[in-house]
Amino acid sequence: MKNKRSIKNGTLPAEQRIVLKRTGIIDPDSIEEYIVHDGYFALGKVLTEMKPDKVISILKESNLRGRGGAGFPTGTKWGFVAGIKADKKYVICNADESEPGTYKDRLILEGDPHSIIEAMVIAGYAVGADEGYIYVRGEYKLVQTRLLNAIKQAKEMGFLGENIFNAGYEFDLHIHAGAGAYICGEETALIESIEGKRGEPRSRPPYPTTNGLWDKPTLVNNVETLANVAPIIRNGAEWFKSFGTPSSAGTKVFNIMGNVNSTGSIEVPMGITLRDVISIYAKGLKDGAVLKLAQTGGSSGSIIPANLQDVPMDYNSFANAGVSMGSGALLICSEKTCVVDLAKVLLNFFRFESCGKCNPCRIGNQRAYQILLRISEGLGSMKDLDDLQDISKWLYEMSNCGLGQTAGSPLKDILNHFRAEVEAHIVKKECPAGVCSMSGISPTSN
Amino acid sequence: MVKITIDGKTTEVERGTTILNAARDLGIEIPTLCDHPELTPYGGCRMCLVEVEGIKTLQPSCTLPAGNDMVIHTDTQKVHDARKFILSMIFSERNHFCPSCQVSAGDCDLQNSAYDESMTHWPIMPNWQPYPVDASHPFIILEHNRCILCRQCVRACGELVGNFTLAFEERGADSNLIADLGLPLGESSCISCGTCVQVCPTGSLIDRWSAFQGKETELDKTKTICLGCSIGCGIDILTRDNRLVRIEGDWDAEVNGGIICDVGRFHPMIEERERLLTPMIRANGKLKAATWNDAISAAAQKITNSKGKLSGVASTRLSMEALNKFKDICDAFDAESISTTEDYSAISAVFDLAQSLGTAFESKIDEIKNADCYLMIGEDTTKDHQVISFFAKRQIPVGAKLIQISDNSTGFDHFANESLTIGKNSQSEFIEAIENLVAKKSSDIDKIAKSFKLDLSSLENVVEMISSAKKVVIIFGSRTNYDNAAAVLDSIISLKNQLNGKLVTTKGNINSVGASAIGINNVENVVGSELTIMALSDEELSQSFSKKFDKAPFSIIFSSYISPLTANADIVFPVQNWLEQGGHFINADGHIFEAKAALEAPEAVFSSEESLSKLADDLKVKKQKSWRELVKETPAPVTIS
Repeated sequence: MKNKRSIKNGTLPAEQRIVLKRTGIIDPDSIEEYIVHDGYFALGKVLTEMKPDKVISILKESNLRGRGGAGFPTGTKWGFVAGIKADKKYVICNADESEPGTYKDRLILEGDPHSIIEAMVIAGYAVGADEGYIYVRGEYKLVQTRLLNAIKQAKEMGFLGENIFNAGYEFDLHIHAGAGAYICGEETALIESIEGKRGEPRSRPPYPTTNGLWDKPTLVNNVETLANVAPIIRNGAEWFKSFGTPSSAGTKVFNIMGNVNSTGSIEVPMGITLRDVISIYAKGLKDGAVLKLAQTGGSSGSIIPANLQDVPMDYNSFANAGVSMGSGALLICSEKTCVVDLAKVLLNFFRFESCGKCNPCRIGNQRAYQILLRISEGLGSMKDLDDLQDISKWLYEMSNCGLGQTAGSPLKDILNHFRAEVEAHIVKKECPAGVCSMSGISPTSN
Repeated sequence: MVKITIDGKTTEVERGTTILNAARDLGIEIPTLCDHPELTPYGGCRMCLVEVEGIKTLQPSCTLPAGNDMVIHTDTQKVHDARKFILSMIFSERNHFCPSCQVSAGDCDLQNSAYDESMTHWPIMPNWQPYPVDASHPFIILEHNRCILCRQCVRACGELVGNFTLAFEERGADSNLIADLGLPLGESSCISCGTCVQVCPTGSLIDRWSAFQGKETELDKTKTICLGCSIGCGIDILTRDNRLVRIEGDWDAEVNGGIICDVGRFHPMIEERERLLTPMIRANGKLKAATWNDAISAAAQKITNSKGKLSGVASTRLSMEALNKFKDICDAFDAESISTTEDYSAISAVFDLAQSLGTAFESKIDEIKNADCYLMIGEDTTKDHQVISFFAKRQIPVGAKLIQISDNSTGFDHFANESLTIGKNSQSEFIEAIENLVAKKSSDIDKIAKSFKLDLSSLENVVEMISSAKKVVIIFGSRTNYDNAAAVLDSIISLKNQLNGKLVTTKGNINSVGASAIGINNVENVVGSELTIMALSDEELSQSFSKKFDKAPFSIIFSSYISPLTANADIVFPVQNWLEQGGHFINADGHIFEAKAALEAPEAVFSSEESLSKLADDLKVKKQKSWRELVKETPAPVTIS
């Protein structure tokens, strides 16, 4: 598959920085440095020259899609909120980045906090909101400190508060720190959490765009999505579409980890292949090992077998291949990885991080974990495979929120692509990768 | 209106109606485990999932609002498979061993659902790991092994009762029901209303007193009202073989909507007083059993001889019929006074105010359910008339403000936005000061705060909360003397008018309003009369009340139970208790209820009305006006209907 991407200037071949452009370049505690690097220029332009619907139409044209994982068209979402008449609306930035292995939002917020503040004020103006919340993952202490400082500076400079840019527009911004629950990254659980309740996803419909925070229309966007807003306003939709592929414009930040020579974070145009990422940025697998699989998007992402490594990483190509793009974490695994062990780790995460509200997710993940534990100890039976298949199917069909719906997907992928390896654990009582202990005591042995 | 089709049946429903309710209206049953008509839909159990054409995944019918032209299927193979999966999951989560469960074989929603899906077993191994049983509570057992984590109890505790004792700890597979921050239920902030027990779909929250005493299908059910206080909550009395098994709130009852308190639900279960079973006459200083005829004759003779020198004391737990009969007897023999068993005289002040105003000035209890500011004055409704406090407390999470003015610390201390300690004698003056501040007739808030020894900020907050409220409800109940109550009431009425608010007063016993409305409202008992006739019904009276009559020269008592009063009496008649007799009652907001008997009385024990009638007949007392006529003639603080 040929990848038609344009190679522009960046820190590494093909890397192109939009959202991480200032990260590491400017002092994040200095609003002056942000301004010198084009900061608050877009906000000024929006407030003094543009009507709210113009802002939304530029976003729609730009084809920007949500970077939280689901890839929902951002301009459309803004349009939903803008289209509702209400006495009060909110803008929320979802910075509860908890997907294991993902730290792109942290890089943006730690390195360039003002870019998010600027984008949120623009969003507030576009949708008709006058108040915003940044819901920051509790463990991100430095992010919180830098955001607080940035908000203070922005207020002093008149980019937040009353009468911004003398345009008669008012916007207030708060920070809300999470308390360590993965589920609060789910937008309705996040809203419940801000309201002071237990972080449990709501039933949808209604959606946050109509009944969000305190039952008011609410726009919830991921950090990386918002970080694209000001550049799009400054440079135009056409410029943005010059990056990436027709279905997925712009860039994506990936966090590379696993059995590779070089781990770290990259921002590349959408449409790059996994093969390129591994060979160019990760500098190949450790000890020259062979790629067995990769997992995109953290624990809830898809397991991609090696034969899919040439699929361009954009929303449509991935969807066509039956895998999901996810949040941007790339876990690269060599032949030394056991899929049963991997699944066990993932399910252990989900059984712990499920909010516990709905039965399929709360009990299904626990049961799946226990079954995998049995298999990894050499105590599995072929019926276990049917049960795992069932659980993964019903998790998707019956769960209340995205967490439960995607929790079964790595399970499904493993059974699709690596069934033989799992069966070896059951039938031959051996772990082909040599990872599982297989030390269980069978109920029939003494 | 939107058009939807469920299982081939097309109907029109209001926009926003859930699919579950639309299906129910069409007579299509969808099983649920976490849904309750009185609670906000939760969408947790996933038993009610249905197929919706055009949507990839199964959808929860309990939360899904009907959309136009939706086509829904509730009876497909996929839906049934999904239900079986969920049931298998739930059965395998904890230890659901049906044979040893108190709700097994009919009363368990989980078990019934499994039978409905033709399940004979569940394919995944049970958990085996034991969960604790919390038996620390005097009325409620919390059996974690049977819990399906549906949160009906948690929602009932918060949404219906406003107490927020129950909650969930941890998350995911470790999710667990807890009281407060993990206290044993018996040591928690639980107020024992038992609503959680009533909504629990499995045998996880069970009532200690009725456990293992029979399936609900085997019990007799009597729909009636609770006589515990002046609210008159609708209840279902569950009995078996003429024995009280359990009391539940009646979800259809207008005044309480299914919630009751510990007084209504559990206190009747622990009745330990000894019953009176036969009439008795004092002879040679000792009470001896007598026949009804002998006792009636003896009483009649004494009454005839004491004409003009006797006084009557009636319990306000008596029905209208019994009170009427009692009044007829007392009137016929020129009683010096007819007083009630109540210790406090706020009720007289309330009725006298109605007399002088000539009109009803109080609102229905229903008004408490949707106010945004509550001013609690006097009585602690978390201890007495508790359901009123539930209505107020459950509004707090949706923004209602609660202000308490009391001379004491109360159960509202943790809930009130402001608790102001004001002595009984200065409450009237203080309410006037509040009125002046709200009406901006007075601006010297600093001075007012000082004179009542209050924090300036608290007082400012109170004035702000009252001023900015859309609907203020003043709740007044007072354990105070007549003058005090009358003075406070005057200032309350003035404040209420100023705020265009509502007033509800608590009234002591279930028939306090009824007694006052037929003219029995004198609380100052005359104790020195030559003869005292007391119709006590089953009321449990305080020591101080009983002591007043220690020196009564001669007393005739109608009572269900043996008490210090009956021990001192000269003639005693046994009467039925509230479970055994019916009759009419008028509650605090003027609603006329008819109570029904749920149990058969012991042999030769009659209702208060029948017993008093026997006496009246023997005395040839003529029936005067009916209670309904008397009620019509008396101006009451509430509209009686």
